[in-house]
Amino acid sequence: MNRRRPNPKQVPDPNEPLWRSTLRVAMPLNLSYIPIGLACGILLHAAGLNTLLTGLVSILVFSGGAQFLIATMLTINSPLLSIVLMLFFLELRYALLSSSLSPYLKGQPNRFLFIFAISLNDENYAINYLKFATDKKWTGKEALMVEHYSLLFWALSNVIGSLIGSTLKIDLGIVNFALTALFLYMIVMQIKNRLTVVICLLSGVLAAVCMMLTKSTLGLVISTIIASLIGFALESTLRKRLPDSHWLWKLRSPGAKQSAVESTDEK
Amino acid sequence: MSTVNTWTSTQHFWLIILGFCVAFVPRFLPLMLFTKREIPEWFNEWMKFVPVSLFTALVVKDVFIDSESYQLILTKVPEMLAAVIVIFIAYRTRSMAISVITGLIAVFFLSMVI
Repeated sequence: MNRRRPNPKQVPDPNEPLWRSTLRVAMPLNLSYIPIGLACGILLHAAGLNTLLTGLVSILVFSGGAQFLIATMLTINSPLLSIVLMLFFLELRYALLSSSLSPYLKGQPNRFLFIFAISLNDENYAINYLKFATDKKWTGKEALMVEHYSLLFWALSNVIGSLIGSTLKIDLGIVNFALTALFLYMIVMQIKNRLTVVICLLSGVLAAVCMMLTKSTLGLVISTIIASLIGFALESTLRKRLPDSHWLWKLRSPGAKQSAVESTDEK
Repeated sequence: MSTVNTWTSTQHFWLIILGFCVAFVPRFLPLMLFTKREIPEWFNEWMKFVPVSLFTALVVKDVFIDSESYQLILTKVPEMLAAVIVIFIAYRTRSMAISVITGLIAVFFLSMVI
């Protein structure tokens, strides 16, 4: 901020305590959790969950997408089994996140991995993955602290949202759009080249067709598997046959420099 | 405000415990396995496309699919327009909070107008 840094690429202050330097890295994420956590808490309250259980689900499940899904499915009175099944498919993507972090956590004891896995989620993954990839001093310990900071902010905003929900009457159809917006944001963040855009569109069409055919959310899982396999096949074929293909060109966002993670390094 | 759901707190509690289990296993197992041995390259390359495919599928479900009949609906015009706005905002700002809040405001005003 107003502190002078001789190197614009940022040399971390060696005397800065660890809790503060990791908090600085986690802060943009923490702040952005507040509105989403509030919306999620309001929805969970409307779905009938009490404040204590809202806090519990935020700590144990700790996933925006999953908690919004619980709220939505509770309000349409889905059976327990179908909620849990849908959650399972939604949470399967974490297999990808945790396997891509695994090279950086080699040699850590299982107990650490256990605690690390509990509070892993999409957003703190994004921060930690980038830090692991760019900062040689970033270890499991720092990564876990970032996870816990984001967990704290998430759980607190959910609880406050739940309390707000019990005093105010809020149009749920609108709050529900927070989930759609969250997913749209995550899609935009995932788009790296033109091929991903194609896979995105393909997946959208496939999802609609599969859900209409299966008449259930199982269609989501089927279309995800098919679309990701097609993306994988297309990319490896393009890499082999036409490495210069414009489909593999990177897309650069005008706002890329202000990304949550990078801005913490530049300030 | 009356609640639509008739579950008891005990049922909610068990839902949370089960939810924790299905959330935890996919996060923990790969971490435990792949810190001990190498991840196959093709697996990684494939998994790269999973999040983007799943998120798109979920958005399509929210905007274009009726939650009870699972039929295609094209009547959620405020949501469709708001989705375009969110994509644009997310692309320009790369900020999760700004994207979500703009989306909520957009859907609020659009559903009043349309």
